[in-house]
Amino acid sequence: MTHPNHHPSEALVLDHARGVLEPGRDLVLRAHLAACPACRAAVALAEAVGGALVDELAPADMAEGALARALAAIDAGAPPTPPAASAPHPPDWILVPADVLHAARRNRRLAAPGVWVANVTGGGRVGARSYLLGVAKGMAVPRHSHVGWEFVVVLKGAFTDRGLTYGPGDFAESDEAVEHEPRAHPGGECVCLIAADNRLAPRSLMARVFQPFVGI
Amino acid sequence: MNAIALDHGCYSGSAAPPRLRRAMTDAAATTAAGFADLIGRVAAHGDRAAFASLFDHFAPRVKSYMLRLGAEPRQAEELAQETLLTVWRKAAAFDRAKAAPSTWIFTIARNLRIDAARRARHAEPLEDPSDAPDAEPAPDAVLAAAQSEGLIRNALGKLPPEQAEVVRLSFFSDKPHSEIAEQLSLPLGTVKSRLRLAMGRLRDLLGDLA
Repeated sequence: MTHPNHHPSEALVLDHARGVLEPGRDLVLRAHLAACPACRAAVALAEAVGGALVDELAPADMAEGALARALAAIDAGAPPTPPAASAPHPPDWILVPADVLHAARRNRRLAAPGVWVANVTGGGRVGARSYLLGVAKGMAVPRHSHVGWEFVVVLKGAFTDRGLTYGPGDFAESDEAVEHEPRAHPGGECVCLIAADNRLAPRSLMARVFQPFVGI
Repeated sequence: MNAIALDHGCYSGSAAPPRLRRAMTDAAATTAAGFADLIGRVAAHGDRAAFASLFDHFAPRVKSYMLRLGAEPRQAEELAQETLLTVWRKAAAFDRAKAAPSTWIFTIARNLRIDAARRARHAEPLEDPSDAPDAEPAPDAVLAAAQSEGLIRNALGKLPPEQAEVVRLSFFSDKPHSEIAEQLSLPLGTVKSRLRLAMGRLRDLLGDLA
């Protein structure tokens, strides 16, 4: 498989490694990481730096009997790690976390002819929301802009946006300054995982007609 | 320190105090390889003395890390406990070829902190991402050097101070980079470019050593 060409910024990779990325955004980033050895290496380096920095910290005093408590919890049979969920993985998607697959099965709904949507993570907080968007081959998402940031990773197929092609694993960031009309490649359906703070801001009559049905 | 036969002083509960001996002298254990061996012994035969040594070293540091990120002392203690319990439970999943013990334990602590924050906000995802099968296979061989804390620490020491500062502040804060920039009275672009330069330089330094 070829590796992605479009990557998240260094700051974003670091935010993931230090654990401050909001859940929806983090999910999109993790989907990219699963497909991108270069960014995985960047995360591994950042995590190694985090580990070394924590290791250098002056130790804080633990409460009295802390180790005894831990050993007692071990004796009591600390809760076992739940078995990893095994949802069947669509063979033509890039490898995605299990929670995304569950959402794709559970929440998928037809939003408009040729378009399906599945909510993955919810919540009104900034960066919390994420959803899957499937667009039939050759179809465009009508011209729109964004309120706040939007992160996108391609799970299957490809789309074209402002002269650039985004294929499996590619990562794209858009902000309010971006007004676009991404279009699925004619070769096949395009499925993306998207984290967006707010609904799209329609920039065309078609988008205004389209948005209420799609609910994104 | 003469730690070979050091008994635990803190077993004063009503139950019979287990007489635990440290698995190694401090000097022998405080290397990445030493800690990796200890984790291996926990995985192989639930070695409690090995666990005690790991707990002694890492729990106070994880607590310190949590305090730095603004956790209440009780919560910091709890997260340090949970981190080390996770080390016990998942010891078999530790792969010394992939990461240094301090890196692995850092990621466990970080993930537990994220989970705790999400629970506190009642904003749980549909499923706990940490339970998802590991979709992130081993990093590339370029990072062989990153398995050693010593090398990482060395490389960190070679960063220009202003770059080291933003890296440190990033890891010991849960604030976005924009707030870190404010704190340093620097433009956001400067903070981001220092981070980018720092990570690039670390990559180069470790690449040279690998």
